[in-house]
Amino acid sequence: MMLVEIVNPYYLQVGSFILINIILGLSIYVTLSSGQLSLGNAGFMGIGAYTSALLTLNFDVPIIVGVIAGAVVAGLFGILVGIPSLRLQGVYLAIATLGFGEVIRVFFVNWESVTKGAVGISGIPHIGREIFMVLKDAGFDPAIIGLKNNQFVFLTVFFVLLLINILLVWFIFRQQNSRIGRAFAAIKMDEKAAESMGINITYYKVLAFVQGALISGFAGALFAHVMSYISPADFSYHRAVEILIFAVFGGSEVIVGAIFGATFLTLMPEMLRFISEYRYMIYGLILLLMMAFRPQGLIDVQVLHWFQKLRLPKRRAEHGSKNQKHL
Amino acid sequence: MVLKIKSISKNFGGISALTDVSFSIEEGEIFGLIGPNGAGKTTMFNMITNLFPPSSGEITFAGEIITGIKPHLITEKGICRTFQNIRLFPQMSALENVMVGGHSRSKSGVFSSVIRTKAQRNEEARLRGSAIELLELVGLSDGIGTEAENLSYGQQRRLEIARALASKPKLLLLDEPAAGMNETETDDLFDLIKKVQARGITVLIIEHDMPLVMKLCDRILVLNFGKKLAEGTPKDIQNNKAVIEAYLGSEEDEQSA
Repeated sequence: MMLVEIVNPYYLQVGSFILINIILGLSIYVTLSSGQLSLGNAGFMGIGAYTSALLTLNFDVPIIVGVIAGAVVAGLFGILVGIPSLRLQGVYLAIATLGFGEVIRVFFVNWESVTKGAVGISGIPHIGREIFMVLKDAGFDPAIIGLKNNQFVFLTVFFVLLLINILLVWFIFRQQNSRIGRAFAAIKMDEKAAESMGINITYYKVLAFVQGALISGFAGALFAHVMSYISPADFSYHRAVEILIFAVFGGSEVIVGAIFGATFLTLMPEMLRFISEYRYMIYGLILLLMMAFRPQGLIDVQVLHWFQKLRLPKRRAEHGSKNQKHL
Repeated sequence: MVLKIKSISKNFGGISALTDVSFSIEEGEIFGLIGPNGAGKTTMFNMITNLFPPSSGEITFAGEIITGIKPHLITEKGICRTFQNIRLFPQMSALENVMVGGHSRSKSGVFSSVIRTKAQRNEEARLRGSAIELLELVGLSDGIGTEAENLSYGQQRRLEIARALASKPKLLLLDEPAAGMNETETDDLFDLIKKVQARGITVLIIEHDMPLVMKLCDRILVLNFGKKLAEGTPKDIQNNKAVIEAYLGSEEDEQSA
């Protein structure tokens, strides 16, 4: 079997979009897990993307440094927005953060000397190509494993993103099943009671908010280095709503909900390409039906219990403790 | 003296919920706070835990002024409470609820939690262990993995006590713990509160179940319309004319009615 025939750049490209969208879905999931609805994640994503793009283009820093800087700068903005937003709850917080995202976008449009305005920035170093160049200098040729150059580039991007996704899910899962995660959940369920039980709600709410901002900024920076081109339109409120839908559609109570939502909603428009202009009608219809019949999202704790029950007999109930943790 | 309340007043807009109330609680006693509905009992709890700040007055706990301190720091200093209208974390298991109660007595941060350092694993094991022990104490061993919202009313009340005890308080505030309980449950509750006292924890209790209050409390304070009406041993209170009038109405009232 020849690798060259299986590895399809188009599928890998879609796969990479899915993985970036999963990171975005997780960014809103973390903030939601402390009971805060933030719609500013598109703005934070933009900050991460522009920071990393400008650093790598203008100062020649390596992509990895740019991506980390992008995430950190977005996180700092998260602190800046998170602290004054503490007094806001529910839809009020959502509207304020949505406003923040729009301010950021308009800022990118108007700061033309640096951001090139609405035209956007092109020629951003590409993760796959950069890695390919480094390996080529070291004497590596993709032909050795039976791949064309561009196949290898797309494959590299995909695996880098996959690795990042695995690490991120691991991070969030472990954090969720710890003292930190319990504090988030307690605040989400009853803020006053959480406070009375000794939880510093200010700290944990800002922590969750900043983590969300950091992860979105991280996703944005990766986005810039996968697309090689960004413009303010990539971070408009359409994106903010799209990110929210990833988590809400899949189920915002569990990690797999955000992962499933991002995967399904990225794949669907691609799968429906054959009906071209009707596909967004179907997309809309599916969302409508979901909200009507399953407002808590497709996957919730009950669904996970059900899956666990299906699996348990085969595994001889090895994980059958009453306190199962779910992703 | 564990807790000293010095002329606390609280106004909500033009309504004064508490007017110049002072009392103090000795270490190790069970202190009752009673009075008709709307007398300001729960408001007093909210003042002590600083969910709302008092309009004036001062609260001292273990020799330290705690007025104006954030609620979570008050818990850290050793005061924890239950709520009149049960406020558990409904979708958490009973065990997790109690483990949240231990929050202020643990300190793992984000990184130690994600990396699961040895200290963090030990701390989790300790939290879990003491939570299981507390669930046994309140008689909820069977419901450890049950979500709080699926427990019966009486069980939820006892879970709230376990959750509060997990913060290792010196002073425990119970807001109507017997509300909605039947006679057997109330008897169990009596035993439980006595056990809590035996652990060296001072208890301040709001309760409407008079037989329970009289049997349980060492001293009682009666509030009426936000003012202190009487203070003393259960016997003093039972024989106090003003208290009887507040609860049953005065004879003149009845004649004029």
